[in-house]
Amino acid sequence: MQDQAQKAVTESRIIGVSTPRIDGPLKTTGTAMYTSDHNFPGLVYAWPVIATIASGTITSMDTARAAAMPGVLAVYTHENIGPLYRTPPTQGFSMIIDERRPPLEDNVVSYYGQYVGVAVASSVEQARAAAEAVKVTYDKRSHNVEEKLIGTPIAEPGIKKGTARGDVTSAFKNAAVKHDAVYSTPNETHNPIELHASVAVFKDGRYTLYETSQAVVNHRDVMAAMLGVPPENVQVITRFLGSGFGGKLWPWPHAMLAAATARNINRPVKLVVSRSMMFQSVGHRPAIDQQIQLGAEPSGKLVALGHHYVNHTAMEAEYDEGCGEATGFLYSCPNLAVTSGLVRRNVGVPTAMRGPGAVPGLYALESAMDELAVKLKMDPVQLRLLNEPDKDESNGLPFSSRHLKECLTVGAEKFGWAKRTPAVGSMKNEDGATLGWGVASCAWGAMRIDTEMSVELLQDGTARVTCATQDIGGGTYTAIAQMVAHETGLPVAKVNVILGDSALPPGPISGGSWTTASVTPAALDAAHHAVQTLLVSAATFPNSPFKGKKPAELEMVDGTVRAKGSATPQLTMAEVLKGANVKGITGTGKSQGTFGAKEEYSFHSYGAQFVEVTWQPEIARLRVSRVVTVIDGGRMLNPRAARNQIEGAVVMGVGMGMLEGVEYDRASGAPINASLADYIVAVNADCPHIDVTFLDYPDYKLNALGARGVGEIGLAGVAPAITNAVYHATGIRVRRLPVRIEDLMGAPMHLA
Amino acid sequence: MAPIDEKDPQPLTSLERISRRVFLTRAGAAGVATATAAVAAPLSAQAQAPTAAAPTEAAAVPGAVPVTLKVNGSTHRVMVDPRATVLDTLRETLSLTGTKKGCDHGQCGACTVHLNGRRVNSCLLFATMHQNDEITTIEGIGTPEKLHPMQAAFVQEDGYQCGYCTSGQIMSAVALLKEPVGADDASVREALSGNICRCGAYPNIVAAVQAVRHMA
Repeated sequence: MQDQAQKAVTESRIIGVSTPRIDGPLKTTGTAMYTSDHNFPGLVYAWPVIATIASGTITSMDTARAAAMPGVLAVYTHENIGPLYRTPPTQGFSMIIDERRPPLEDNVVSYYGQYVGVAVASSVEQARAAAEAVKVTYDKRSHNVEEKLIGTPIAEPGIKKGTARGDVTSAFKNAAVKHDAVYSTPNETHNPIELHASVAVFKDGRYTLYETSQAVVNHRDVMAAMLGVPPENVQVITRFLGSGFGGKLWPWPHAMLAAATARNINRPVKLVVSRSMMFQSVGHRPAIDQQIQLGAEPSGKLVALGHHYVNHTAMEAEYDEGCGEATGFLYSCPNLAVTSGLVRRNVGVPTAMRGPGAVPGLYALESAMDELAVKLKMDPVQLRLLNEPDKDESNGLPFSSRHLKECLTVGAEKFGWAKRTPAVGSMKNEDGATLGWGVASCAWGAMRIDTEMSVELLQDGTARVTCATQDIGGGTYTAIAQMVAHETGLPVAKVNVILGDSALPPGPISGGSWTTASVTPAALDAAHHAVQTLLVSAATFPNSPFKGKKPAELEMVDGTVRAKGSATPQLTMAEVLKGANVKGITGTGKSQGTFGAKEEYSFHSYGAQFVEVTWQPEIARLRVSRVVTVIDGGRMLNPRAARNQIEGAVVMGVGMGMLEGVEYDRASGAPINASLADYIVAVNADCPHIDVTFLDYPDYKLNALGARGVGEIGLAGVAPAITNAVYHATGIRVRRLPVRIEDLMGAPMHLA
Repeated sequence: MAPIDEKDPQPLTSLERISRRVFLTRAGAAGVATATAAVAAPLSAQAQAPTAAAPTEAAAVPGAVPVTLKVNGSTHRVMVDPRATVLDTLRETLSLTGTKKGCDHGQCGACTVHLNGRRVNSCLLFATMHQNDEITTIEGIGTPEKLHPMQAAFVQEDGYQCGYCTSGQIMSAVALLKEPVGADDASVREALSGNICRCGAYPNIVAAVQAVRHMA
């Protein structure tokens, strides 16, 4: 078949145009199916029994009383749950799980809230009552949930060296201007509003698992390995996902409990993790201490950058937050070193949370840059502009597309930065409240992951698009529909997208901000191949008006087939398929991942965050009142959805800067603020005025669409811009997030 | 929509959820634990082909008590655990899963419904105590084909991302229209602060609510 070029994606009526989400009518009417919405005949409910110590062993479990309660079908412990295996070591980007120990593997407890049993009953109320009636006796050992990390024993194999160049030690020692401080961030939790859940259906040796998963293909592979069955016997479905922010990337132990109990009692089982359990056993961003050492010439030119971080991890996991993610390439600096270490605590297993590494790493680095600017008596925007690199100095690669300087200058213009007076507390609003203005840069990597897609053109005039990938909420359904609409000329409403099913062509994880860059080229490719085959049909079916023409002489425009350059005759897609008596024509498409490939460019998105805080010392009231965000994220395929994601990330950044942090109770080892009343996330009233600007620089080196992805970049840089603004308003430098009222009680009442 | 052809079952699609509602309506949903068929792949269709409505599952639950609930204008007589909340009864017994569970503690607002026209957190209500009340859920507000103006405004303004908190946001927003809430955005923000959106779509949620208020 003579292949034709895909339609130009740079000129499109639909790509790059704000498009309402195709799933909007379902989401607004309660008809979108999330995991725990699935009910089946004979469905029963599971509720986990949780450990109420943080370290020790179970000496006995008395399940008799629970088992005798009304409606209870079974109570499982480590003695009778049946086989659950660990995943084997794997290579590359496959079979990923952070908590590798299967639940109920043995009698060892290493964190508070660890599952030690599970009750199954006819109703959710009965299951919960039974789980709470299980009496567990422990041999308790001392636990460690200490929040201080730097200066405490580092886990084997000790301090790890990350990216490095030059001689940072002597450069720092000899620097004219120096800054050296430790920045701390607490355990932060994803807490998507959708509770983690599993609905497990076991039939004839096969598992159909409805999961809250950001990665159904990986979830399928992990579950098959842990259940000890071939992967083809497991199907994982996530039609709609109530977000995840990384917390739903990899499977967590409740999924194995649901599947194992469904297997054991041979009935469908629903297990919905409670909100308090979501602070214990579904991952979190670990607590981190980061030491930043900056050395500069009096001109502001950086000469030394040391970034040394330690994050907590669980007793049986080696989770490294990767705080040096952006450190190596953000600024030009000849002498640089990143080191890292892990310290073990009796906490649940940490995992990736939105912008892992970069988000906390940039909190430290961008705070330190602000402190350096103060020491240099230099404007913090100018300091950043002065240290712009012309290549990625961590690996020598050219940047694919980097416009950080423009982010800073455009943001400064929009924010009104020129009116900033640098003296602490020197700015007031019209009500007399003190204003603080802060700035921070941000960056986040871009990548593609292997994706396969199928597009079927159907007699009813619709296109059916399938891919295993799931829509976390960013707008994947809609982005894929846009691509197929572009290539076929069908209206978006005629494109039916089916996602979130491991039985469909394999697609990427919803993570890393990689989904859009991965799925959209595959969707275009699949639609293109389907159209090419349709043209062959149009040229060959009996009685076709195009009989005798070569397929290459035909084209598909606005969903109809015609000879190139001739408006008539034309046939609709449906007429061609009916004429040929073909029910549907399928095209498949692929896009190749960049993971593990030899890199030729440094792919990153960039941004600048400008924050205004309003400070009323008389009542110790601090608000984030205004945020200007400028993002260099490649081409925005659906600007409306992209803007929403950036605004939402800024809101989460307000939470990170001002509100969020898990507190561990030293006596019990429990995360004690394990509820949405005590772990505060930003509500509507906390939302500042947000002004988002996208710089329009498509990154054609990443893909033909020039799209990079915007899931994470908007969160990076918000927290340091807030603390930098707090310093500007109050003179107090908060080096431990979140900013608390008590941090500011020492601030002078009257400044300037 | 086209009638379902038994001989030529089309695989349902994830965006084609109406069929289930139709099914429920036909089946006379009360007290029925229903099978759903939101599966796309033939493999899974074989593995768990939806069966006809199971016999009233809840009746088999030991210790269940009879409860009569008025939901969206219909009266449902069901057997539920005496501890069952309105939320769990809606979701698990009546299969009205549009109302979501986010915390079960009245802290997030995802389960917001109307009780006699006023917004409440259905996770904080025992089903047995609300037998004489008129309960309205998101399913009673509008349908994908016939959106309530607030639902249409949420679509228009992109007032969500993942959509999980959206039912609660919309139920709160519809109730807000009849509440003494100031005209400015700040008043709307305050009045909707019982509904957490972790995706942070707050600017668009406020825009949607204000669009509907300006229409009125």
